[in-house]
Amino acid sequence: MPGKTPAKDGDDSMTVVVPPSKTSKQPAPAADAEGDVAMDVDKPEEKVDPAVQAVADIKSNFALLDRAVALFDARFSLRALRSISLIRKHLSPDVIAQAIVDTFQASSASSSIAKNLLSAVGRENVALGRGAGAEMEVDSDAKATKNGTSKKEAKEIIPEIDVFLGILVQVYLFDAKSFQQGADFSKYLSDRIQTLNRRTLDCLSAKVYFYFSLFCEYIAPLPPSPESPIVAIRPTLLAVLRTAVLRKDTDTQASVIVLLLRNYLLTSHIKQADLLVSHTQFPENAANNQVARFLYYLGRIRAIQLRYTEAHEHLTAATRKAPSSGCAVGFSQTATKLLLVVELLMGDIPDRATFRQPSLEDALHPYFLLVRAVRVGNLEDFETTIADNADIFKRDGTYTLILRLRQNVIKTGIRMMSLSYSRISLRDICIRLHLGSEESAEYIVAKAIRDGVIEATLDREKGFMKSKEVGDVYATREPGEAFHDRIRACLALHDESVKAMRFPMNQHRLELKNAQEAREREREMAKEIQEGDLDDDDLGGDLDGI
Amino acid sequence: MADRSLAQILAQLKQAPQMSYPEASALLSKAKLILLSLNALTPTSSTPPNLLALARETYEQGALFSIRAKNADAFTRYVQQLQPFYELPSVTLPPNIPERNKVTGLSLLLLLTQGRYAEFHSELESLANRDGGGTDVEGDRYLGYPVRLERWLMEGSYDRVWKAMKSSEVPCDEYSVFSEILKNQIRSEIASSSERAYPSLPISSTKSLLFLNSEGEVIQFAKHRGWVVKEGHIYFPNTAADGSEDGAYAKDVSQMIMENTLGYARELETIV
Repeated sequence: MPGKTPAKDGDDSMTVVVPPSKTSKQPAPAADAEGDVAMDVDKPEEKVDPAVQAVADIKSNFALLDRAVALFDARFSLRALRSISLIRKHLSPDVIAQAIVDTFQASSASSSIAKNLLSAVGRENVALGRGAGAEMEVDSDAKATKNGTSKKEAKEIIPEIDVFLGILVQVYLFDAKSFQQGADFSKYLSDRIQTLNRRTLDCLSAKVYFYFSLFCEYIAPLPPSPESPIVAIRPTLLAVLRTAVLRKDTDTQASVIVLLLRNYLLTSHIKQADLLVSHTQFPENAANNQVARFLYYLGRIRAIQLRYTEAHEHLTAATRKAPSSGCAVGFSQTATKLLLVVELLMGDIPDRATFRQPSLEDALHPYFLLVRAVRVGNLEDFETTIADNADIFKRDGTYTLILRLRQNVIKTGIRMMSLSYSRISLRDICIRLHLGSEESAEYIVAKAIRDGVIEATLDREKGFMKSKEVGDVYATREPGEAFHDRIRACLALHDESVKAMRFPMNQHRLELKNAQEAREREREMAKEIQEGDLDDDDLGGDLDGI
Repeated sequence: MADRSLAQILAQLKQAPQMSYPEASALLSKAKLILLSLNALTPTSSTPPNLLALARETYEQGALFSIRAKNADAFTRYVQQLQPFYELPSVTLPPNIPERNKVTGLSLLLLLTQGRYAEFHSELESLANRDGGGTDVEGDRYLGYPVRLERWLMEGSYDRVWKAMKSSEVPCDEYSVFSEILKNQIRSEIASSSERAYPSLPISSTKSLLFLNSEGEVIQFAKHRGWVVKEGHIYFPNTAADGSEDGAYAKDVSQMIMENTLGYARELETIV
């Protein structure tokens, strides 16, 4: 054990950074640690041909998958999945076919699976077992599979590996834009996954469904139309969700809930999405990315339902949970756009610094103009901004929300006027805010007073609005509330960080054992004290030891 | 055979919109029985298109009749049943856009008068994606009306709502069913905002403010709301209420601060 730990650590730090140049070295320590993969043969060729290296990279992931099954630890599968983005650039039918051929043997029972995989990339006539891939399959760990029900033969490929290859095929088909083919293949793959009940497959199958629904989204007719294939896959996804819940498969559960929500929202089935949220429970320990997506969709639903406070909460969490590196700029842009609109709807003015972030600046420009119009309370500017950017807003799906902002603009306008003038005639208000008539102005101002937007009174006979003196903010509960909010946010952050910490399995048993030992030692000591043959120095030393 | 008698019933219903509700509902239930025997109550992939159109028309007529009879529950039921028909692609069932928008507009208005804004907006969101001419929601005669009303109600231009209900802007007879409900709604909205906004109001101008017909009605309304009428002016009894509210408010604040502080202490203890 102690000898193995440092090797593992080194491996860990390598995968976290994954500089492309080092990938060639990656398989080596993995092989050393397990002693089952002999990759050294490929080493000299790696610098020559990227395709060969890609094949080697793919195969190096099999070791990780093997280890995931053997140790029953999903982290290794996740690591294999993470490496897909690196392999992705070099994927081609030949690379995939090579990897498949090397892995499967013509005689084995799983050769039909291999044939299916091969036909998906259009290389059905490549013969299996040519590359004598025996080195891959012969590993002592596969025997020790914890899924005790199925006793694997030593030569059998573990399903994780063929599903992993399936995902690679999906990725390739997606990049090659053959969506229809991809959807068909995904259907086959997901059917196959459903027949397998292995917990080590969870995070892989989540990925499979993800690509499945992605393919369907891209097949004509495109989503907003009710004939889009995404409507047709809903029953499949719902069935998958049910199975995942029954099997306590949190990865698939989280990912399928998110997919379904996305699916419903694409066709604007808000009610169904809302019902889905209320009838399911999003797994607590889901992957961070899935949580971020889920929160975004939830925020969207709540915003449409006018529950802005909740929407704001969810969207803030979503933007904070979004990965800060460059890989998810699109997500944080979309989430931030929606967040800005919700903030405006709540009557807040978003922070100007939001618009200055380099990754967001361009995308948020229309929203910046919008915020400016709302902030000043200029109805005319507001209308022109909407008219100018209607297409962008419609594409972002924020258009209907933005149309609701009109009343906020008017309210802000009234508030500005009430702050600047101690007394102003309704006619002036009407002209400045471009309202239809004086009567409208009167009703609107009265409503604003009732809603607590401004502190003022109206005089109907003389037709003016008289503002009340503005009180001292520090005499109200406002600062206390702001303080409370911040403290709550800090405490929540602390709690979440504690939760996010990873504790080694079974460590507490060790501690229990230690505690027991300590207790025994204490008892002994007490006994010795009782017997009187223990002097003070001895006692002090022992206490230090504890 | 069966679908011919169904078509007959529908023609009968369409010709006489002023038919009494019990008569109409008798005819409608007959029509629904025929639909049931034809297995076309809900659309399936095997249902022939002409039957789909007939089924849809039956529900639409049912919806219109029940709204004329002010039977909101029955109307909602019909609208729910129509939903799967409206979702069908235009290839299977060519949409009858004016009729569809009429029913949808009515259901929007119903949601609005019942104050179910969340559902109103969810519904609105899905309209934009409808097959065939659903894109211009505001420009549509039937759909634009409830959308505009909602916007005006939200920003507080009650006079526009009033005018819209009075004038010829009302798209068809069925829509005026809601006018009475909306009128009362607006009036109570105006009354509650006036209570806060004006120190006092002369009776004569209150009449026009609340869209009432005579000063007698104003006084009646004022009594109903518990306002004090003195020397031709209305005074709102809100100052007294404010005083007691302040006391409760102050107590509330100190209690809240105490609770918060205790909470912080507890949390700190768990952290340290």
